[in-house]
Amino acid sequence: MRSSSSWTRKRTVHEVSIALAMVDELMRIAAENGAKKITKVSLKIGRLSGIVTDSLVFAFDAIKQEHPLLSSADISIHEIPLIYQCEDCMNRFEAREIHFPSCPACTSVNLKILSGEEQHIENVELEV
Amino acid sequence: MCNTCGCDHDHQHDSSGTRVVDVNQSLLKTNEEAAARNKQLFDEKGILAINLISSPGSGKTTLLEKTIEALKDQVSMAVLEGDIETDLDAERIRAKGVPAVQLTTGGACHLESALVSAGFHNLEHQLDGRKLDVLFIENVGNLVCPSFFDLGEHRRVVLISVPEGHDKPLKYPKAIRTSQVMVITKADLIPHFDFSVEKMKTDALSLNPSLHIMVTSAKTGEGMEEWFDFLQRHRKE
Ligand SMILES: Nc1nc2c(ncn2[C@@H]2O[C@H](COP(=O)(O)OP(=O)(O)O)[C@@H](O)[C@H]2O)c(=O)[nH]1
Ligand SMILES: [Mg+2]
Ligand SMILES: [Zn+2]
Repeated sequence: MRSSSSWTRKRTVHEVSIALAMVDELMRIAAENGAKKITKVSLKIGRLSGIVTDSLVFAFDAIKQEHPLLSSADISIHEIPLIYQCEDCMNRFEAREIHFPSCPACTSVNLKILSGEEQHIENVELEV
Repeated sequence: MCNTCGCDHDHQHDSSGTRVVDVNQSLLKTNEEAAARNKQLFDEKGILAINLISSPGSGKTTLLEKTIEALKDQVSMAVLEGDIETDLDAERIRAKGVPAVQLTTGGACHLESALVSAGFHNLEHQLDGRKLDVLFIENVGNLVCPSFFDLGEHRRVVLISVPEGHDKPLKYPKAIRTSQVMVITKADLIPHFDFSVEKMKTDALSLNPSLHIMVTSAKTGEGMEEWFDFLQRHRKE
């Protein structure tokens, strides 16, 4: 169990900035599609994005109340693991830590990120 | 193209009047597009744009004041000063004889590209056709949100001062990962704090192996030559 103080801290932080930007994007998407309402939003959030997903949902749920178009929108989050590919031996591996790793197969640090930086809106469900 | 409604998006229709639109776009798309426009404009004008991020009080404005004193005769500089309220920092810069525009966010804890664009437009009026070599953008004091919002800068510089402690890189990994340069400021205070430059460097490099790290004191001048050299080397021809 998390202590209540740790929740408080997590939930008052900076994901509000991202939630506000997301609201702007959703309003634009709704307008472009002539939607009366947005009912669902699927996000892809990478391990390396730096976004705390609980905090983002919490912030969005608070902000959406001010926007009738979004007030019934539910967020679902698809968390994307951090996957590197070694450019020397082509080994692909998942890193659980955000520290820059070396290749577990050959120790090279010549690595490419294949996934994990996502901060994307994947799709939205609209009522037209 | 969608056959049911004739629109340009890929989506499915169902009987209940709802449909799913695949957008697959960044959460911060509007800002990212504005950042790309800023960067293109800076490139066209041959300007090196630098985004300074740090916690409040790490020494961003002081670093800029010292930079202006040292380089004013060789390098044409201007500053966009981000703050939640007041134009005190812009006044400090103008007092050094360099054009500055205050960007007040009215509550937001970071700058966004649209505000930078408006500020730069205003700055160009002050410059009245004069060529600019380096544009500094002092972000709002905050180590989290500014690291999500690209402003179109060429280099992001994160400042961390000695009194903040050497544990800060691990606490603000996104700021470290998205910056190209880390300036450890207030090095004159090292004797007064339990502060390990080595620990801080090791932690920062573990997150971002290509980070360029400098140790400076605006007060004693220690390390400032390296910072000035960095600016001289990266300004556009
Ligand atoms: N001892 C010491 N103090 C500094 C140094 N640089 C800045 N300061 C002080 O730190 C405080 C905050 O500096 P400021 O430049 O306003 O920080 P900003 O909020 O990041 O713009 C001021 O009181 C400065 O005089 C330094 O190198 N050494
Ligand atoms: Mg300042
Ligand atoms: Zn390998």
